[in-house]
Amino acid sequence: MTKNNSLLLLTKITIIALIVGAISLPSALEIASPFWMLIFFIYWIIYTDTKALYLFALILGLLTDILQGNILGQNALALLISSAFIFNVKKSFYVSNITTQQVYIFIASLIYLIALLLTHIAIQGFDFNWLILLSPFTGSIIWPAIRLFLAKLKH
Amino acid sequence: MRLFKLLVPILISIILIVLDARFSYLDNFKRFTLTLLSPIYFVVDLPNHVVDWVNDQGSEKAQLISENEYLEGKLIELKARLQTYNNLVLENQKLTQLLDATYTIPEHQITLAHVKSISQSRLKKQIIINKGSKDGVRNTQLIVGSDGVVGQVTLVTPLYSTVLLITDPTQHMPVKNVRNGIRGVTKGLATNERGMSVEFIPLDSDVKLGDIFVTSGVGTTYPPGYLVGEVSKIDKPPNEAFLTITLKPMQNMDKLEFILIISQKND
Repeated sequence: MTKNNSLLLLTKITIIALIVGAISLPSALEIASPFWMLIFFIYWIIYTDTKALYLFALILGLLTDILQGNILGQNALALLISSAFIFNVKKSFYVSNITTQQVYIFIASLIYLIALLLTHIAIQGFDFNWLILLSPFTGSIIWPAIRLFLAKLKH
Repeated sequence: MRLFKLLVPILISIILIVLDARFSYLDNFKRFTLTLLSPIYFVVDLPNHVVDWVNDQGSEKAQLISENEYLEGKLIELKARLQTYNNLVLENQKLTQLLDATYTIPEHQITLAHVKSISQSRLKKQIIINKGSKDGVRNTQLIVGSDGVVGQVTLVTPLYSTVLLITDPTQHMPVKNVRNGIRGVTKGLATNERGMSVEFIPLDSDVKLGDIFVTSGVGTTYPPGYLVGEVSKIDKPPNEAFLTITLKPMQNMDKLEFILIISQKND
């Protein structure tokens, strides 16, 4: 994939992830929903080659923080750490079957969740809705559909 | 080198977290970026716009629809005003018994707004409304629905504003018991979607199930007299100095469509 195509795909992915993340859902569904930006960004990491991966992760994380009204840097930190994990298993991820990819997505989402909750607990205390713990599961379950959708989008 | 490339953005994130959590230096940056991102809200709300547009086009009674919308807004406004007056009547009756007191009925300016989006963050309970700084909305303004207090404006862009709900754990609001004037401060509960607690009410205080709490007006940020919640549970922890009171918000946050922005006349 050329640099321009890669940036175009990233732009599309960012816009879609922000829109999907901003859609109102019933509160229980909302809390347990996947980390959309992470899932979309993972696809971009896997199928493109870039040297500025962490810079893009930081920018997208900050955009998510601002749009969701979170503390600035909270999603950015979580996205950076999860991206580092995915980047390390990129080759294995690329050749894996869908079930193994779902396991990778689950681990990446779990890392994201832990980073998000650690900063939340450090700032606001141990006060959150337990349904959020379902997010890694929903993320890994929805991965095949997201992958299919983004493959169409890529072409 | 690869580790360095990762550590620098991580360090930037941590610095931003500390700056944003402890200080307000980044508020203008957030407001500016959110203004740039506000078309996202428009896109998310586009299906509703399309449905409304099709309905409007298909109807021969456009005038009636418009009038109906106006009256709906007016009704909510009147119900919200009534909350204040009901409270005043009760307080007036109490005071009249004690002394010949006269009352100054609070005068508030009211702006009707439409809820665009409900809570897009899993760690915060908030809504986005379709009124912003262009309509005179400002930070800290009180937001009420037809049945009670909804929350407080926390971030304003030219076209949209973010409202933090009273059920969010970071939201605190001074309240008082309508029946006897006992004061406390509400705090949202993250573990309970539709609940909040009242803090700092001493153990020996007279609070009963079903008591109504309203905004007390202490601190001047929130106008007094708006319905906040009804007592649904009271606990007396043995080793604590204060009662543990759970409130059920008067306003059902799931059914919000229109809300009112309250501002003082002199704002």
